[in-house]
Amino acid sequence: MLPASRLCLCLLCVLSLAVAGEMPCSADDSESFSKGEVLFALRVKPLLQQKCFACHGGDSKKIEAALDLTSRAGMLKGGEGYGAALVPGKAVESRLYESVTRENDDLQMPPKENDRLTDRQTKAVRDWIDAGAPWPKDDRVAAIVASKADGVSVATSGGLSEDWTNRRYKSEDLWAWQPIRDPELPRSDGPTDGGGPGHQIDDFIEQKLRSADTGLAVAPRADRTSLIRRATYDLIGLPPTPHEVRAFAEDTLPDREAFARVIDRLLASPHYGEQWGRHWLDVVRYADSAGFANDFERPNTWRYRDYVVRSFNNDKPYDQFVKEQLAGDEIDPENPEMLIAVGFLRMGPWEQTGMSVARVTRQQFLDDVTDAVGQVFLSNPLQCCRCHDHKFDPIPTRDYYRIQACFATTQFADRDAAFLDTENKAGFGLERDRLTERNDRYGKILKAISAATRDAELAWFKERDLPYRTRAEAIQKKAPAEQTPPSRLGLTPRDNGIERIGRKYRGRHLWELSRYEPVAFSVYSGSTPVLGNVDSPIAMPKDRMKSGELEETAILAGGDTFSPTLAVTPGVLSAVPDSNDSLEATSWNSIAKQPAGRRTGLANWIADKNNPLTVRSIVNRVWQGHFGRGLVATSNNFGATGRKPTHPELLDWLCVRFVEGGWSIKTLHRHIMTTDAYARASTHPDMKRVREKDPNLELLAVFRTRRLAAEEIRDAMLAASGELNRDIGGIPIRPDMNLEAALQPRQIMGTYSPAYQPSPLPEQRNRRTIYALKLRGQRDPFLETFNQPGSDKSCERRETSTVTPQVFAMLNGEEVNDRALAMAKRLISEEQREDRRIDVAFRLCFGRSPTKEETALCLKHWREMTARHRTLKFERQDPPGTVTRSAVDELTGEQFEFTEKLEVYDSYIPDLKPWDVDAETRGLAEVCHVLLNSNEFLTVP
Amino acid sequence: MQIPPAISRRESLFGLGASLGASALSTLLRADESSSAAAPLSPKAGHFPAQAKAKSVIFLMMEGGPSHLDTFDPKSKLKELHLNEFQRGGKEKSAMESGTRYYVESPFKFRRAGQSGADMAENWEHLAKVADEICFYRGCQGESVNHPTALYHMNTGNRFGGDPAIGAWMTYGLGSENQNLPGFIVLPELSYPQGGPANWSNGFLPAHYQGTALRSTGSPILDLSPPVGITREHQRRNLDLLKQLNDRHLEQSQQQDDLTARMASYELAFRMQMQVPGILDVGQETKQTQDAYGLGTAPTDKFGRKCLLARRLVERGVRFVQLYAGTWDSHDYIARNHSAQVRNVDQPIGALIADLKQRGLLDSTLIVWCGEFGRSPDNGIRGGVAYGRDHNPHGMTVWLAGGGVKAGHTIGATDETGAKAVEVVHPIRDLHVTLLRLLGLDDNQLTYYHAGRFKQLSQFGGKVIEELIA
Repeated sequence: MLPASRLCLCLLCVLSLAVAGEMPCSADDSESFSKGEVLFALRVKPLLQQKCFACHGGDSKKIEAALDLTSRAGMLKGGEGYGAALVPGKAVESRLYESVTRENDDLQMPPKENDRLTDRQTKAVRDWIDAGAPWPKDDRVAAIVASKADGVSVATSGGLSEDWTNRRYKSEDLWAWQPIRDPELPRSDGPTDGGGPGHQIDDFIEQKLRSADTGLAVAPRADRTSLIRRATYDLIGLPPTPHEVRAFAEDTLPDREAFARVIDRLLASPHYGEQWGRHWLDVVRYADSAGFANDFERPNTWRYRDYVVRSFNNDKPYDQFVKEQLAGDEIDPENPEMLIAVGFLRMGPWEQTGMSVARVTRQQFLDDVTDAVGQVFLSNPLQCCRCHDHKFDPIPTRDYYRIQACFATTQFADRDAAFLDTENKAGFGLERDRLTERNDRYGKILKAISAATRDAELAWFKERDLPYRTRAEAIQKKAPAEQTPPSRLGLTPRDNGIERIGRKYRGRHLWELSRYEPVAFSVYSGSTPVLGNVDSPIAMPKDRMKSGELEETAILAGGDTFSPTLAVTPGVLSAVPDSNDSLEATSWNSIAKQPAGRRTGLANWIADKNNPLTVRSIVNRVWQGHFGRGLVATSNNFGATGRKPTHPELLDWLCVRFVEGGWSIKTLHRHIMTTDAYARASTHPDMKRVREKDPNLELLAVFRTRRLAAEEIRDAMLAASGELNRDIGGIPIRPDMNLEAALQPRQIMGTYSPAYQPSPLPEQRNRRTIYALKLRGQRDPFLETFNQPGSDKSCERRETSTVTPQVFAMLNGEEVNDRALAMAKRLISEEQREDRRIDVAFRLCFGRSPTKEETALCLKHWREMTARHRTLKFERQDPPGTVTRSAVDELTGEQFEFTEKLEVYDSYIPDLKPWDVDAETRGLAEVCHVLLNSNEFLTVP
Repeated sequence: MQIPPAISRRESLFGLGASLGASALSTLLRADESSSAAAPLSPKAGHFPAQAKAKSVIFLMMEGGPSHLDTFDPKSKLKELHLNEFQRGGKEKSAMESGTRYYVESPFKFRRAGQSGADMAENWEHLAKVADEICFYRGCQGESVNHPTALYHMNTGNRFGGDPAIGAWMTYGLGSENQNLPGFIVLPELSYPQGGPANWSNGFLPAHYQGTALRSTGSPILDLSPPVGITREHQRRNLDLLKQLNDRHLEQSQQQDDLTARMASYELAFRMQMQVPGILDVGQETKQTQDAYGLGTAPTDKFGRKCLLARRLVERGVRFVQLYAGTWDSHDYIARNHSAQVRNVDQPIGALIADLKQRGLLDSTLIVWCGEFGRSPDNGIRGGVAYGRDHNPHGMTVWLAGGGVKAGHTIGATDETGAKAVEVVHPIRDLHVTLLRLLGLDDNQLTYYHAGRFKQLSQFGGKVIEELIA
């Protein structure tokens, strides 16, 4: 439990005003401050600052319409073509007032509709002007604010202006910054702790439901089939097997106990880490490539992916998980696992090309990691503070750069890190051989081209009777220009294009070969080396402190790396309770400046039970994973513009239990999943009333269904067809992708990327989707259309949209048709009777048996489709052995063609295809195909 | 500030479904009618419907970065400076800028075209005939020197990608006039541009606003056709069984609206796979039209098809069509590269403008021509012959034609060497705000609540470049 004495130091005086409404001036003070002055200090001035000064103040060069609103004189003077903005005492004649009312179409301020003033604000402007528009001096304003302002002030490390530093917040907007309190338990109707009354979570939910006064009753408990489907998808991302469904249905234990056993079994499954690891990878933006111009593969990130899966499977305490990802290399540099864990810091898209300015790309990393730490661990995006103090939250830009300073000594390196026994090292040899084969092929091409140049140059010199043999020799011997042949002599546009392709491919593949080496995508702490074009692994420097300069961090004007202003030292978010080192420096809130250990300091501050942001963040994410939506709907943003918690006491109560339970995520799952709320049916006897009273289902009177996520759809189809290889971990696999998309040419700097080729064997391809190679620049269209997020931005929650490309993929896509075919074959080999085959099909897809009517429909369809298929003949279609690209050579602008060999297809074994099976199987596959397309298959009940 | 109720995109789709009652649904599925008001792509009035002439956009993206100095912004000063040494330095220097650099004159001859006397390199023969329809703008500035970040910037307003493309924003703001086609269609080069499909992403907007890339070979939309051997009638039978199973499931379900929407999408897809190939078939145009666009002739066929298709799509109510041509990247041999690129696009673009005009569509169509950046007046010298130019975000030419633009004018200017814009200088976000305005949209009102704040195309707000508007 959190000590109650840790009261929030940052929340200073809370002066709630007795006087509500328009006039915040009490009788006592009316002698010292006029009504107009008070209005100005509390309402009008903050409003002007927030909404007007950016364009009408400060920098006289950038001022709009020459209208300066930062002084009364400026307002009286007015702007170009408009005259005075202010007529003291007469609001209706003042342009300032006219513009904020937005009644005149030609004069509406602020220009952004989003920024429009509320009625209350508009009235404040009116009343202030009518009161003579007094403009008290700053100290008098401060005195008024000190004695009268409502809201809460927050002590921070300090904003760029006094006004920001002293500004007030609505206390409800600061909910996430408050210490976590162990709330009183709501009244409980029962003694048990097995779900329902007496299960504290249910009691909180019941309390909220009661107080919402909607008259809504809760939905009944879901049937066991729905429950096991729900729990299995939630925890392992796969459908339950028919056997598991039956065992649960037939379990004689009472409902809650029987379900608790299912939960325990699933939590112990090695597939649990795959599903919950996937959620984490969404948040950290995992990808196997770097993005941008080259989209180079990151050969070693798969070890980070597996580290995440392992961590969830091992129920690694979350505080430890956080520390490892932020500072594992500093905490335990001898442990390979720790060098892998800090790969987190490099997960964002990043590249450095010959065109890049090193300092700019360095800053790009710093900004990326700073914001990522905010979103991922603290549920507060920090990027707003790159250029200014936060507009809504108590985060000064100084804190942004103080956190950034924690990473100013963080440097990229691909570090030696021995393979762990637990890592899956299967398939290294074959993949290495493939890349080597490719490199040899392109090596030969390059050799031939350089021979052609050599011959041409020799001939060129000979023709001119010059004493040189090669161009290089001529240049080296300082031959005059007219005695030096042009570069690339004798090369056709095609030669030029192919030379570039060969060179680029070899470079890429050489780097990719490090995938099979014990290397971690990692970092170290030291001074900042000046990196050139980064197109190969980054080695550790001999001396971490002597490679480059030790970076100093400063607040950057406008976020521009070339415009440093005030220097800052490493620090933390000062608005978090007890974290303001300028008030009271402690070992927890202070970070030493020496180059090594900064990240450890930051990690210790983040992963501390007294950091309310961190604890609420993860507890909310876990809740979201079960209920489809967090107690706070914006799980990456707990700030003023994010959503407020629907059940704030419950959230805090869970946080306290979570920390007490040693930051165990599995314990948290168990706790949440054993509630009655989790076990409620997704249908409600009075759905109309639910929609009317609780359209967002926030009251949890009914369970929210969800569509399967992209990966779950693919995995569930493979599970139903019996093709799923459930191996855990290892180098990325390449599933079959729509062939046209796979062979779609895409540009990497100056040429094409190598074609996407699937893994050769079905058992390699048909693994869980989390293991699929994830390239930023080439996404699998099937997964993308089902809302798999891209890897550029942190994804706090999957979307679920319904668009027609999904239908094309499901209905016409070869992948889905292949699954249906394999499923049909499986049914026919596993069951003898036709109706039994339909029965198993339904149980595989929906976890239930078909009704009689459904069986009849499906059997009829099967028969009809079989008859139809008897008339069809399917020609074997062999996969392509090559792909030909038509391209424009960058050097000459001429078109050329290039044929890439697709060597994987030499040893490729396709999945089951229509020409492999008889009409009866194909007919049944049509039925299976329909089941896979059905809403019931795609929905978690 | 008005904060919308707590909704996610998923839930907003429930909202969509909520209005998909039986009658609305049938409207949605009717081929050529605009659908129910609640459908995400149904046509919407913009913020200034009265002021907006343009209803749709054809965006000609010259990927790779065409040189303004060799197309529409001649610099006689470079003739004087030709092969004079040039210095750039400091910490802003990239690896590419190292070594000795020289000014390079343009290998192209220029002339003044049309009554407006627009500057054009002579090889723009066809475009010259419609010069008076065009508003050239020389004041735009970007920030990125790398292709993908610059493309992202021009396409989405965010250099690092991940945000909605301008076509997504416009479709979000205005919907589309044809419910059987995507509202935002992209005709990429055979090879996707650098940065890939994120250049036409819906970003954080709902997926309905994503650009659909029509592939120039193979199936125009992935999996548009049923597998080999499977007929339409065959598939209809499967859909009928699917409907029976879904109907039963629907009765017992909570999220009926969502499930209904999914069922509707199957029917829509079933219709689309029949209709789309016909719409995309430019062979349905007259021989005369095909010839005008340069179809069937080697250098112009490819882009000619795209331009003709763009016209067909706009005619059928598609809101935003983006065409890619390139690559114009010419660090070396710019004479060869730009000659070839201009040859590829000149006739098709000239024909597009003339054709739209003749059909009375030019006023309601906004045409935008630009690259991701312009090019530098200087270059490393590459063996003394391979004159080219490097990337330059500080100076470029963007031109607009059609609905509401100040045709026949050249706005803004670059400095005497064309290194950077010096008159009517605006960042890309102002160009974006201007394009929105031409469509009757207000960047400040066209917002979407995401990740805790209202987001907009210009990121932080921008200014309309009034000079570009008639």
